[in-house]
Formats: sequence, structure tokens, C-alpha cells
Amino acid sequence: MNKPFTEFEDSSVTQLTVPFYDATQNTEGFNSAHKVISSQPDALKAAGNPSAGKPAVEIGLREDNMSGFQKTLRRYNPWFAARNYLDTLGTDNSDLDSTPRPIFDERSGERDYAKLNDSVVCDTNRYGTKIDMLNITDVELPVGRSMEINGNPSVGTNPNRNKQHGFHFTADNCIGCHACEAACSEKNDNPAHLAFRSVGYVEGGSYPDYKRMNISMACNHCDNPVCMKGCPTKAYTKHAEYGAVLQDPETCFGCGYCTWVCPYNAPQLDPVEGKVSKCNMCVDRLEVGLKPACVSACLGNALNFGVVENTPENREQIKTSIPGFPDPSITNPNIRFQQTKTMPNEMARTDSMPVKYHKQDDGTFRSVVDEKEGKAKSWNFARLSSRENPLVIFTLFTQASMGAFILLYLGNLLGIESFLAVKNSIIYLPLLTVLAGLQAVGLFLSTMHLGKPMRFYRGFNNLRYSPVSREALGVALFFTGLAVFTGLETLAFGLDYFELLSTESGAFIADLIVPVQHGTAVFAITTGLIGLYWMYRSYRIPARPFWDHGQVFTSFFGTLFSFGSLVVALLAIPTLLLTGESVGQLLQITTGLAAFGFIAEGLGLIKHANYLNTESGEGAAAHYVQQTTFGKSYSLRNALMAISALLLASVALFLSESAYGVAIAAIVAPAMLVSLLVGRCLFYILVIPTTMPGAFFWKNKGFEEHARDVGLADMPQVGVVPACHGH
Amino acid sequence: MSIFFKRKEKNPIRIADKKVHEWKYTTCGYCSTGCSIEVGLDIDGKAVASRGNANADVNRGKLCIKGIFEHELFEVAGRGDKPLMRNKPFEPWVKSDWDTTLDRMGSEIKRIQDTYGKDSFAIVSTGQLLTEEFYSLGKLARGCIGSNNYDGNTTLCMASAVSGYKRSFGSDGPPGCYEDFEHTDCLIAWGSNLPEQHPIIYWRLKEAMEKRKFPLIVVDPRVTMLAQFADIHLAVTPGTDLALMNSLMYVILDEGLEDRGYINAHTKGIEEVEACVKDYDPVSASKICGIDEDTIRHVARIYANAGAAMSIWTMGINQSTHGSDGVVGINSLNLITGNIGKPGGTSLSITGQCNAMGTREWSSCSGLPGYRYLENPADRKEIADFWGIDEEFFPKKRGLAETDIFPAIETGQIKGLWLVATNPMTSMPNTARIRKTLEKLDFLVIQDAYADVETTQYAHMFLPAAVWAEKEGCFTNTERRINIVRKVQEPIGDSKSDFWIFKELAKRFENGKKIHFPETPEGAFNEMRQLSKGEGRTLDISGMTHQKIEDSCGIQWPYTENDSVADEVAQGESGKASVKGSQRLYSDGKFQTKDGKANLIPLPFVNNNEVPCDEFPFWMNSGRVVEHFHTRTRTGKIGNLNKYSPTPYMEMNPDAAAELSVKHGSYVRIVSRRGDAVVMVQTTQRVARNAVFIPFHFYDCVNRVSLGLLDPHSRQPAFKQGSIRIEAVDQEMAGQLNVERRSY
Repeated sequence: MNKPFTEFEDSSVTQLTVPFYDATQNTEGFNSAHKVISSQPDALKAAGNPSAGKPAVEIGLREDNMSGFQKTLRRYNPWFAARNYLDTLGTDNSDLDSTPRPIFDERSGERDYAKLNDSVVCDTNRYGTKIDMLNITDVELPVGRSMEINGNPSVGTNPNRNKQHGFHFTADNCIGCHACEAACSEKNDNPAHLAFRSVGYVEGGSYPDYKRMNISMACNHCDNPVCMKGCPTKAYTKHAEYGAVLQDPETCFGCGYCTWVCPYNAPQLDPVEGKVSKCNMCVDRLEVGLKPACVSACLGNALNFGVVENTPENREQIKTSIPGFPDPSITNPNIRFQQTKTMPNEMARTDSMPVKYHKQDDGTFRSVVDEKEGKAKSWNFARLSSRENPLVIFTLFTQASMGAFILLYLGNLLGIESFLAVKNSIIYLPLLTVLAGLQAVGLFLSTMHLGKPMRFYRGFNNLRYSPVSREALGVALFFTGLAVFTGLETLAFGLDYFELLSTESGAFIADLIVPVQHGTAVFAITTGLIGLYWMYRSYRIPARPFWDHGQVFTSFFGTLFSFGSLVVALLAIPTLLLTGESVGQLLQITTGLAAFGFIAEGLGLIKHANYLNTESGEGAAAHYVQQTTFGKSYSLRNALMAISALLLASVALFLSESAYGVAIAAIVAPAMLVSLLVGRCLFYILVIPTTMPGAFFWKNKGFEEHARDVGLADMPQVGVVPACHGH
Repeated sequence: MSIFFKRKEKNPIRIADKKVHEWKYTTCGYCSTGCSIEVGLDIDGKAVASRGNANADVNRGKLCIKGIFEHELFEVAGRGDKPLMRNKPFEPWVKSDWDTTLDRMGSEIKRIQDTYGKDSFAIVSTGQLLTEEFYSLGKLARGCIGSNNYDGNTTLCMASAVSGYKRSFGSDGPPGCYEDFEHTDCLIAWGSNLPEQHPIIYWRLKEAMEKRKFPLIVVDPRVTMLAQFADIHLAVTPGTDLALMNSLMYVILDEGLEDRGYINAHTKGIEEVEACVKDYDPVSASKICGIDEDTIRHVARIYANAGAAMSIWTMGINQSTHGSDGVVGINSLNLITGNIGKPGGTSLSITGQCNAMGTREWSSCSGLPGYRYLENPADRKEIADFWGIDEEFFPKKRGLAETDIFPAIETGQIKGLWLVATNPMTSMPNTARIRKTLEKLDFLVIQDAYADVETTQYAHMFLPAAVWAEKEGCFTNTERRINIVRKVQEPIGDSKSDFWIFKELAKRFENGKKIHFPETPEGAFNEMRQLSKGEGRTLDISGMTHQKIEDSCGIQWPYTENDSVADEVAQGESGKASVKGSQRLYSDGKFQTKDGKANLIPLPFVNNNEVPCDEFPFWMNSGRVVEHFHTRTRTGKIGNLNKYSPTPYMEMNPDAAAELSVKHGSYVRIVSRRGDAVVMVQTTQRVARNAVFIPFHFYDCVNRVSLGLLDPHSRQPAFKQGSIRIEAVDQEMAGQLNVERRSY
């Protein structure tokens, strides 16, 4: 998947290669493009751009190339018109100003250290991607296009504006003075708790042979921007200008998925504002030929910037990694390093992350577990509750609802006696309602978990790339199908109850309901399973090794069986018992399926543990935390799961017809619930992302937690957002 | 595969636009690097942005983290906006107006002086004010109030440098400049951690080293970033640098590496020094200072053989029991190798506060303005005549230093105290003793921009002062460069510039009616220009004007009227408005002593440090972190600074921590012979196994345990050498205590 790709924010030049659903372009867009370009010739001439003055014509030509159908589609597609409109809701555009003006307020006497200086540019980067962004678009040149920063139609004078740029960091030189972070936050007006660039460090050796290596890191504007692919709202764009990956906080609905997939912790989810923002490469400075604010502020001569693969003046290396930096193969980041000084064999992190870095034979460092908290096993039950609680409920309820619905539907379809009995019992409609209710609660909680719940509808914007969009759509469609199915069942019940089946119209409706119901059920099951698959895929994140394993599949689909069966059994078996009907078959099927679900999940967990034991780094570190900080909770879940599976299997195989079977199942049910809940909580809290090392206070999860616990976080200048519920 | 998203018509790229309407020139008010800074004002005149001035030679457009957010300090919490009064510190404050408050202040000062004597009212000022304000305060203190117990908090930071310069060269005034980095062939940094304390000076050094590499030698017991980047790091035993200096001189003299011609022509006292250093051969010295004999010899040879060699130092030297001697030792090392006053050859103290130099030059704290001495009758007469008062009003000898004023309060000789922009509750050693001392005052006035400085808890009166660029006037930086703070915005509320406060308070005194207090800082600057003239005077600023200073982004003194005329002639041709001033002092080998020769002074090392023992087994070192300034009254309230160290911590060696079962990130209680404090532990091999380091910025923290033994010459406390033990503490209680002790 490392084929080069780029996306532009301006499809006015790209329509021919773009699937229709992405080429959303309205008339206004065209007009503004014309206006922009035609206002530019002077600036372009000033830049010595050979195509100065021509772009307006080019765009016109290209529009002419379109078929009338394409044009109509682009302009009048009501779905995209509506979507575009919806995506702008709540955005205040009063700050935009279309008056041509300087793109950046340059200061007098600017020095060379702040000026971009790339006289020669390579053709491709080391991953084979063209550095000239125009070469990888398969379209005509958008040269001379304005970036429309804050509505400003002026075009930058930078001769390399269509080349992929990147940071260069000389790790040998960083003094950890925070000037880069400060310059960034000053320029971007960020509050204390938010930073697009952060400096952390690793350290090693023994006094006085001690080495600290500071690492300043922001966004790496990757060739493969996993943030952009993951974002369900399409808030991200990789621009043909500078290859900058920019994110629009006004489109973002604050799900935070980009913060999960980014290996470098570049996107910042602001819990106060409920949206993500990130490094914008200071494209306004780049447009006037200046390096980003952080680079210009650097006091150690460590941070630099330019066209990627260029070696800065006085530097010798353009390495892709240094100790503490995640595997570059995940995203092909546009950052290069120099690090020539010998570091100790082991470099530790000062933050609470149980990870350190160990030197390999080839001199590179790989992350390994740092057993900072010793070996003691604890419960830490209270800490199982986290910010991700809504997702714990959402995933469990979704899986339960889907599992139970599939079971009920298939049970009836296959004509299994006990399921027919359930269908004919008084619990059938309430059971369906409960399933719809569980799914509704799950969806509601996951929506409220967004930073901006009112923007929930944007979750489907990126079906083309985002597993989250697909998951959301699948689950939403499942819910729709389930709700319709339940409605139809209610209608059918109503017809029967009010003895309307004998009437002509009643019979007609009843006859009509049956195929529609089957269609709805098949629709719900299909979309649900697709949604569940993409729910699983959403967690296969290379930057989160603890999750990036098939165990997520066995867990999610196992829960479909275990929790789904449990829900059916919990409601149906007592009902059948009360109405004096036989429960043996139902007990056998539900316990059997639940046992299967637990065994599948259990086997997945065993494989996962083996994988974590052999994996180094963040996955192994998460496993270390699992076995120590949450060691007792983890053991409890495993024990409950194993015992439950054993007892469920026993009931299914030998005891389904006996009263003992019912009694054992009644005892196992709460154990199953605890196991599922604890397991899913652990799933969320244990994950350790491949982020950059933090400092002792800043970007140290341990300190943040302490600051919240003791109340230091209540002072805003501590830079830690106090524990907040909701937004 | 290409994918293209059309997003523009919905939400264009947004980048924060602070809508700066106007950039105003000013000079940074934190440390003494002296960076030119521009503050961006929006259309309403509100300060919204800061940026470095790219034309300035000092910072060349760069700023450190503190300067980058300096525009935020106008509106931080805790600013005082009304004069406050109360009869007793335990009573609530009553808001007042300036007339009533200054009348009361005048009458209280007179009451105390009438009752207990002229010197029973003390004044302790700062290195934070503008030079014109210092000059006015000196007029007020020396000329109107007449107390001889008048000093600045520079006693806590630069007194040893001042004292050492005076002893060696006959006068204060750092002889070098930053440009010396570009000429030197060897640099020793003594107890100076530029990347953390003076990041812009570090950058100048780094730029110089990238252009032309030269050996960097760092003397520091802690592996600071500078020590880590050094070619040779001398991890010296705390408080023994004098032995190391003597031994370096031993090797240089023993091996004949000295510049005998320079010694003979420009110094006196070499014989005594030769005799003294005989006791510090590398073998003997290595046992004291912990640096092996080979390394001592090696460093001595590199330094002596370098074409030009320079030494810089900061608090590692100044804040010790022999700080003044340390400065003299560095000066002597440079004198015997002929490294004073030449490009790349100098002995340059790296100063702390933004205007520590200004107070040294013009505040009259240690004498009379313009490096004049109370002890010199001609100086007394000249100033008395210039101010228009009776010369007999001046004492004939300097009174108590800040560190002696507090003990005099403790024992009742001093009854009233006026603190100007200083916060001894946090900044002075042995907090318990300071607390007890302040309780004894009849009358304590705090004049500060912040009403929440911790010392106000014992005050009877609070005068709200304007801060930094709410006022206008000059700062002098480490390299003697006078730069101008232009007024960027009006003082908040009813706060007033310190200049105004001094001028108005003077009216309450008899002499205040005789002495002229100019209405504007520029008026005061012109008086100083007059006073700076004179044959052989180094501190000559007569060629400068406020406008010229701004046009040049600072001018280095001496800059005489003649220099100015010469520059004007030259500029007539070139059309440039910027002038440089003098980069170096003593380039002609003439010093400010009677015979013009520099003094070489023998410095026998007496180890009076509070060395670790069984009961208190750890060396305790304190110092700055880059994100904070002094007692955090400013930086503790700006989130984008404070967040990097929002709470006190202690660097501790992980091996020692493991032995005491102390965990990284947990709290411990540190105990000394003075008291205790609670800090969070950051384990790191940056410090030795028997040493800890604690940032000094935090209230109720390191100075609860520090000793602060006084240097006999400079009266500067030895903050950096003391001993403590480390004890376990209940983590929950410690967390609570940490929160309770911090209102910012």
C-alpha cells in the first residue's frame, strides 16, 4: 500500500480521474477558483513562474473537457450539495477575508536561518515517491493556485511550493529549550494544554557519562497520511503545495480516531473544544519563503526544514530514525534526522510509559519493555473506567444486539422448535425491542463520545478510506434494519392481536410483511456483519501494536456469540420457564454458542498474549501493564472466561435438560457479564500507542493523572485538562 | 492511485491570525541577555504577539521560550491595580489612593527614622527596574531618605561578579562581549548552563562553534546539556572550583605557559599568586576538586596555548562561599594568559536579571551613581553638587548588603523595610528565618507589579507598579549594551511606573524639594549622560540618546560624545543610523585601579562548604529552568511556560533512589539543618549519586532547606552548596501539600 498518492483540496483540476462521489464541485467553487486565479498574475510573474497568467484558461479548458453529464453531476448532485452544506453548518466564516494581502507579515532584516534554501531538489524520495507533487497527481498542473489561507487569494512566491517538504532534526544538537514549542503555540494561539509540537527526551548512561537526547516532534506530513485515511469526516487534506497534510477543525467532529492511528501523536484532540487540530506546516510562512516558526525559533540549530531528502547546510545525515522514533514504514514520514553522537546502549524515557529503547547490532534502537512499576500485580479496578467507556458500551451492545438478532432470526428461519416457541411467547417483541434499545444506547453513547456530537452525520464522509466511516454506516444501517424489523413484527402482532388477519386488507398486509421482513432481516444482518468487520478493522492500527492483532476479530465476533446468546437466554429462558415450556433446547443452543464465543475469544487472547510476549515495544509494554498494574483484574477476567466457557460447554453437552443446567447457567451469566465488561475495559485502557517520548511533566501520562487526582490540574497554567465529563 | 478531495469551497485553510496592527520595539524584561523584541498590538492596542527583532545584533531575531510569550505577562493573574494599606499584616487590605498612600509611607519612614535612627529604615531593590528608575531610586534613597541600608537583590545573584571585577580590575563592568565567541580559540564555562539559563547566548555560542569549532570546556557538577555537549566536562566536586583554578594557574606558571609580557606590563601581584598556587599542584588539587591531575594539566595547557581564550561564568561561581574569590580566580587566569580585552580573550560574567547591570551602574545601592563610591570624598561632593544637596547628607561608607539587612531586622536594628520588585520569601535562603524576620517589621512596603508575591503576606502597604513595557527606559545587558524598553501599553488599573512612584514619594521628603526629579525617563537618562562623563571613566554613556539606542538595537558602553560625533560623521557617508559602541573594556591594558594595573590576588581555598555527612548525605544544588524566571510571579501564570514544570521537583540519581526505595515521580521530604520541603523526584543520571538538584523558582521549596553561607567579600549567599537528607513521605499528604503551597 505504499503507492504514492496525493489528494488535493481543489478538484477543479482533477475531475477526470476522480470517482464521481469525491469530485464534489459546485458552481461557487468554480467561480471562486476563477476569481482567485485571475487575481494572481502579478504574484506569479513576480515568482518567475512560466505559467503565470495561464491557469484561468487551463481550468476553463479542463471544464470543457468534461462531458455534460459529468458537469451536471458535479454541479447538481444533490447528495454532495447537501453534504457540503451540512459540513459547513456551525462554521463561522466571518473571519475569512478575500482581500488580496501579504500571506505572512514578514519582519524587517530577516536572517538566513529563517529562509528556505533548496536550490536543488531530488526527483523521488527514498520510498520512490515523486517529490514534485505535481508528478503524482496524474493531472494537469495546479501551478499558481492560491492556498486561500484565511480566504486570502494571494499566491505564494516560493519556487518550490509544489515540492514535498519536511523537517530535518539534528538530534545531537537539541538542547530542550522549548523555543520551538513556544514559537508554535504562540503562532497558532494554542492554549497551554494543547501543542502541535512537543519536546520529550530519552536518556541513558551513568553519571557523569550521561546522555540525554531531546526530541522535538510535530506532524511529519507523511507520504501515507494514516490520519487522513482514517478520518471519517474527511477533515484532512494532503495538499499539492508543500505536501502539507492539513486538518480542518471545522469539519472535524472530534472522534479522535486520527490521534489513534498517527504513530507520532501529531493530531491533538482538544477535550475542551471537542475537536482535533494539528501542525499546519506554517504554510503561510512557506508561501513567502520562510521556514516554519518552530524552525526559525530553534536555539540549538537542531530543527531545520526544506524539500525532503535534501541535506541541510552543515549537516551530513538524512536518516529516517533515531532512538524513540516509531517505525517509519507505517507512514513514510517526511522527516529526516542527523544523529552521529554515540548513545548508550539503553535509552530510557522519563515519562510513565513502560517503554525504553535498546540498541541493536546494526546501531538502530528498538523499543522494549521498561518495567518501571516492578512486578507486583494489582487490581486497579477503579482505573478500568476511562474516557473510552462509551466505546466499551457501544462495542459490547452492538455485538450483543447483532448476535442476538442473528440468533433469533436464523433460529426461526431454520425452524428450530425452541426459537419458534420464543417467537410465539410474550417475550418476543420485548426481546426485539431490547435489542434495538441496546443498539440505540450504544449509538447514542458513541455519538455523545464525539467532541462535537451534533456533527455526527459527517461520520460517513470517508467511506472510501476510513474503516470508522464504514463501521458507522454498517452499524447505523443494522440499527435501521433492526428497528424496521421490530416495527414490522409489532405490526404483524397488532394485526393478529386485533384479529385483523381475517380481514382482506389485514391479510394483504400480513402477506406483504413477510417478504419485507425477510428482506429487512437479511439487510440488517448483512450490514451489521459488514459494520462489525469494519469495527474490527478500525482497531487494526499499526501505531497501536496491542490492538493490531487478530485477537480483536475473535473478541468482537466471539462476543457476537457469547453476549448475543446471553441476551437471548436471559430474557427467553425465564419466560419459557414461567410459561411452563421446555427450555432444554434453547439452553443447549445458547450455552453452546456462548461457549463457542468464549472459547474463540479465549484462544484469540492466548495467541495475543504469545504475540505480545514475542513482540517488543509498545505491545509488550501494554502486556506488561496488563500483567502488573491490572494484573489481578486481568487474571480475574481470564479465570471467569475460562470457567464460564467450561461450564457453558458442560451445560450444552450434558446438562441442558436438567435443572442443574439452568442453575449453572444462572450462575455463569453474571460471571460472563463481568468477564465481558472487564475484558473490554482492559482492551481500551491498556493500549499503548507508538508515541514520541514525553518529558517529566509535559506529555507524561503519569503526571497528568496525578495532576488530575490531586487537583493541580484545576490551575489552567498546569497545562493538564481537569477530568471532564462530557464536553 | 490518486485521491482528491475537494474541500475548499467548504472550509478553507485557517491559520491563526492575531491581527497585529502595529509592532512596537522593546527589550526583553527577563534575563540579561538583552534581546530586542517586538510586541504586536491589535487594532485595540492589546498586546497579542511577540517576535524577535531580526536587526538586533544580540538576538538576531531569536527569542527564548519566555520572550516568545512575553506579551502575555501584562494580563496574568495577580497584578496589583490599587495601592493597598493596612495597620497590621493580619488585617485585611484596604484599597487606597496614591496621595494618601505615599503620604502615609513618607510619614512612616520619617517616624521610624526619627525614632530609631536614619538607618533603621532599609530599602531593598532589584535588578528588574529600568536604569532611569534605578537612578531615581538612588536619588531618593541616598539623597532624600538618607538610609545607608539600601541594597538590591543583585546581592543574591551578581554581587560576587561585581566584587571580583572590582578586586581584579578596580571597577565593575564585564570586559567582553558575545562576539568574542566568534574569535576565541578556547572557552571555559564555569558553573554556567547557557542552554537553560541564557538560551540566546547559547545560540550565539553554537553559531560561532558551527562556523569555527574550538574547544568547549564546562565546569559543572551536573551533566547539563552544555556539559554534555562540551569537549571536556569537568564534573567538579561542589564548592571546590577555587582549588581547580589555582591548580590550572599552577600548571600554567609551572610550565611557563603564561604571558609574561602581559603580566609584567599590565598586572601586579604575580609573586603572591605564584606563592599561593604552589600548594595546588594537580595531584593535591585533584583530591580537593575531584578532577584528575591529567585533566587539570590538559585543560591548563589548552587554555594557555590558545590564541585567544575566554571564560564565562554564572551562579555556579557567584553563589558560593568563595564566589568573589572565584571571580578573581577566573580574572587572574585570563590575566596571566593575556586574555583580557582582546577579541575572543575575556572574562565574561553572564548576568542574571534583565537589568542587574543597570542597578550596578546607576542605582547607588553600593555607593553613588555611575560606579562612584561613598568612600571617595570627591565622588560624594560631585554627586551632592549635581543633585543640589549637602554632601554631608551622604554616609561616608557603604551600609549593609541585602543579606545583612535581614539579620539586622531580625535583631531589631532595622524596623522598616521597603521591597521593590523582589520576593525574599521565595528567593532568599532559609525561608523560616526570613519569615521570622519579616514578622518583626513595624512597617513593610512592597512595591511590585504583582499583588500576590508571597512576601506581601507580611506587608503593611502595597504599591502597585507597572511592569516591563508598560514603562519606558533602559536596560544594560551582560555585554554592557544599553537597550531601550519602549512603552507598549498603559499600566493596568491604577498601577504606576516605578519611575513615577519614586518621583512622587520624593516630594514627601525635605531633600526631595531640592533635588530635581525629571518628569520623564529620558530626562533622567540625560542626567546620567552628564554624570557619565569624565576622564578615564569606562561607564560613559554620554554619546547615547534613547532614539539612538533604539535605532541601533542597543549600544555598548563606553560610548562617549566624541564617539557619537565620529559615528555621525561616518554615517553621513554611509547613511546608516545604527552605531555599536565599545565591544570590549581594557583593550589598552589600562585598568580602573590607581596605577592602571590589574590586581593578581592570591586565593587560598578554605573549604567552609556544608559538605555532606552521615546525617545529611546529599549535596543540594539549586538553579534555574528555562521556562521559569525567578520566583515565578510572571512565568508561573503563563500556561505555555509553566506547564513544563508546574510543580517543584528534584533531580536525583536513580541508584541513590533505588537504595532509599524512592520511586521516579513520587514525592519525598528533604531535610536540612534549617528545615524541610516536599518535592517530586525525577530520577536521572544527570546528577551524581550523592547529589540532588532542585529548581529554585518555587515558593516554600528549596530555600526552606538552603543554608546560604555568605561570601565574605560580596555577601552573596552560597545557595548552591548545602547538604540534605531524603526521607519518605506519605504520597497522598505530599500531593495535597504540593497543591496547597501553590496559588500559581
